[in-house]
Formats: sequence, structure tokens, C-alpha cells
Amino acid sequence: MTFINGCELPDDLFYFVEGNQMSWVKFEGNEAVIGLTDPAQTRAGKIVVIRVKEVGTTRPKGKPLATIESGKWAGAVLSPLTGTVIKVNEQLTSNPELINNDPYGQGWIVRLSVANQEEKAALLSGEKAMEKYRELIAKDNIRCMRCKQ
Amino acid sequence: MFVVDVEGKKLLIVMTTGPEDPEKTYAPFYTAALSAAMEIDTSMYFLMHAPKLLKKGSAEQVKLKKGGTLKQFIDMALEGGVKFYACEESLRSLCEIDPADVIEGVKIVGSSTLADLALEADSVLSF
Repeated sequence: MTFINGCELPDDLFYFVEGNQMSWVKFEGNEAVIGLTDPAQTRAGKIVVIRVKEVGTTRPKGKPLATIESGKWAGAVLSPLTGTVIKVNEQLTSNPELINNDPYGQGWIVRLSVANQEEKAALLSGEKAMEKYRELIAKDNIRCMRCKQ
Repeated sequence: MFVVDVEGKKLLIVMTTGPEDPEKTYAPFYTAALSAAMEIDTSMYFLMHAPKLLKKGSAEQVKLKKGGTLKQFIDMALEGGVKFYACEESLRSLCEIDPADVIEGVKIVGSSTLADLALEADSVLSF
């Protein structure tokens, strides 16, 4: 685990960083689990509503997978990969704060069946990812003070 | 979780409120950003006092009770792909703003554009 300004960034994940997007990707065979990173949820603030594309929806890379609303932010979670939604985290409907409290665990958002494994190469990992996050966290002056429930 | 089919839909938000009523300014931008995130083709049209919000340096001065300023909401909408149109007549005559002093990303148009946008939209919201 790497810590940058208090923000947790697991070393074993892939990261999608594009525009204001800061999501994580965990590959499990031909499937990918996707969620928001600690700095992303910190920047958004307390999440009050999330709407996720329904199971069976195919999304090209860069198109919205979900929309998120907090008191200070409203926007899309863009798909880091082309794929089809095979599972959504139903718990988030009644408890969207799971994204804030446990972004890499219970706060996962969606599971995709990956259509094109070659797109994995465009995601960041390891030291390259951490370098990019150091830059983004400094630019937006993000300081994570996440509390576990 | 629910999904409404919004493919190809267009939303127009008409904004008339200016910095004289700060608490009424941010929700339209928030709504616009969210609508764009839902892949709805979203436009905002600013007339009457609303173009004052688009003057360079103005949004930073609109302080919100919830904290922060209006600027973060304007940036959020623009970054999300919302299209901004400002009424030239309101801008020049009522707000006394030179078009050169308007933030980037705003298209300055005539009043007739409001009619075009409203007729093209599937829904129009007014604030």
C-alpha cells in the first residue's frame, strides 16, 4: 500500500486516470472490478446517490458506467475499458457511503466482462501510477482523512 | 439502481439568476453537470442577470453557504461537456459586460438562439 497525503493506493491495482477520472481496476481473469480510488472519493465528498448502468449494458472505454452525486460534485464514472456490465454493487443503492468508507472493498461499483484485453496496457500500475497520483493529489490539494465505519 | 433511457435526449437549462442571489446559482450548474454525466446533450442559456456569473473572476466571488464558491460548479459543468450560451443583449446592455471579459467555453449568441435551443430540446428547465 502506498500513502500519498493520507490517501491509500493499493500497489496491486490498475488505475484509470484521464481528465478528472480517478478509478481503480482489479482484473480477475477476463473480468474487471471497478471502483473509485481514495483520493477520488475524498474529492467528491460524501456520496449521496449513485446510479449504475444495468447488467447487460455494453460500454465502450471512456463512456459513463455510473453517475455519482455528492453535495459538492456531480459527474460520471467513465468506463476504463470496453466491456459489458455483469454485476453491479446493489449495496450502494441504500448505502452509497460505502464508496467513501471502503473504496477498495465494499465500495466497489461494477464488474465488467472485458471485451478487449489490449486496453489494459493503457491503464497505469506500479510506480507510474503512484507518480501520476502524486501529481494529481498535489494539483487538487487532496488530503484523505477517511474513517472506517 | 435504475436507468432511464436517455439516449439522444436534449436538455436545456435557462438561467436568469445572477450573483444577487448566490444560493440560487449553483443548483442549475450541478443539475447540468449531472445531466451531461448521464449522457444527455445538455445546454445552458444565460440571460437577464445570469451572464454576470460568467464574467472572468465573478464566480470566485459568489460564496456559498455550504462552503466554496460557484466557480467549482461552473468548472464541473464545463468539464462535463455542458454547452454554455450567453445572450449578447443581456450581456452588453443589462450586465454591461464586454464579451472579451467572459470566461472561456461560453458562446455568445442572439436571443433567437434561445428559441432554437428550446424547440430542439426534449425538456427545458428554468432557474
